[in-house]
Amino acid sequence: MRLFPLRLRLCLISGLALVGVAGCAHRPPVQPWQREYLSKRAMQFDSDPQEDRFRQHWLGAREGADLGFGQSGGGCGCN
Amino acid sequence: MILCLALVGAGRAEANDYVVVRGAYYREASTRVIQPMVELQREAPGTGVDVAAHFLVDAITSASIAAGTAVDNVFTEIRDEVGLRVRKRWQRSDLALSYRYSAESDYWSHGVAASFGHRFWEDTASVRVSAGRSFDAVTANGRMPVCRPGGAQMQSCDLNVWFGGISYSQVLSPVAIAQVSYEAAYVEGYQGNPYRMVSSLMRYEHVPERRMRNAITPRIAYYLPASGTGFQLNYRFYFDYYPGDPGTRGAGDPWQIFARTIEARVYQQLLPSLEARVLFRYYRQNHAQFWCDAGATPPGSVPTAFCLANTDPPTGYPSDAVYYAADPKLGPVVTQYPEMQLVWQADALRDVPFLRWFSAGAFEISYGYYFQNTSFGGAHLLQTGYRLAY
Repeated sequence: MRLFPLRLRLCLISGLALVGVAGCAHRPPVQPWQREYLSKRAMQFDSDPQEDRFRQHWLGAREGADLGFGQSGGGCGCN
Repeated sequence: MILCLALVGAGRAEANDYVVVRGAYYREASTRVIQPMVELQREAPGTGVDVAAHFLVDAITSASIAAGTAVDNVFTEIRDEVGLRVRKRWQRSDLALSYRYSAESDYWSHGVAASFGHRFWEDTASVRVSAGRSFDAVTANGRMPVCRPGGAQMQSCDLNVWFGGISYSQVLSPVAIAQVSYEAAYVEGYQGNPYRMVSSLMRYEHVPERRMRNAITPRIAYYLPASGTGFQLNYRFYFDYYPGDPGTRGAGDPWQIFARTIEARVYQQLLPSLEARVLFRYYRQNHAQFWCDAGATPPGSVPTAFCLANTDPPTGYPSDAVYYAADPKLGPVVTQYPEMQLVWQADALRDVPFLRWFSAGAFEISYGYYFQNTSFGGAHLLQTGYRLAY
């Protein structure tokens, strides 16, 4: 099989483009005094690691695309 | 755990000190899980070092030890997990080292991980790199498992995992932020369930020993100041494959699971002290290439490389199958998960006797229903928690 399918390549290119766009700008898009809303919980992607820990465990026991990324196995008598 | 936190120092509290107590309840037709958890974080004053520790218990009651097959054996199992993380922070960087240990009567797991993050471009961009390793051992209560077909019975079967990831976050505007991340894991060893039997073959399942797992996740968050509404949109694309020669006699890669997850979240400030979050998650995956449905074989059907009949999904294991499993999560899976959460800052308890001790923290409660197309059926999820920064 091809190591990187087309969709993954598109995602990687998108990510690199994001980095590129950031690097080409002359100054940061946000100044320190403009960060009020960025501190909201809605603007943080991993704001609740305890919730994520539980979630990854039950999703890993029920779906084929989770676990193996550092979560504990077991928990249901199975992998 | 307590000793480690004590070593950090009993000085004045720092802004990052907190304690979280949570309880989670998961219930589906044949399985019930109750998980209490506590986590503490303490920062050593003036050093930039903080230590976090967690302890949780999973109490799992299931009507089927094989989780998804027709075997009716009610059992209750306890899993304990402890974790410790030490983090050093500098002005724009941080380095975290963590360890966790999970134990139950038939499964033990040790995991170590390291994570390094750096912010730049006046703190509007950040990169995080992480890597880790876990060592698991699987056995079966009441008998010694056979880790490979034709092999000897062993005390336990090993499962080794190397994992790593990189993520990049970028503030796009005062109300928008984006992130893209890539995770990979190389899994080697026993990946089946020692209790689960493939009924048509009358053998315990045998799953490919090696697996390369990959996931890429772009995310974006946007905030509407006028209404106090926040939006998050997450997409996750996952794929795996067998690294090296799969030994399938020319049939090809036995894995090749492709999965897509879309998750949308809306955060709404209802009152100054009350926030609601509504979440919807949609997940879809195809079946692993070696996985065959356990249903009856239609006569005259064309076989596939791994199965007897080319149905959708393919059906029936041949008697000389190299790999075979009855695990529903390796088949075609579609799930949906809507959830509602409320978070209440408990300031109003400030003047209530006794309860005023809780007034500096926040209570949360959530309920969700997990729709599954597999034999597990739907599941109710109820989670509660209290977080106190001190």
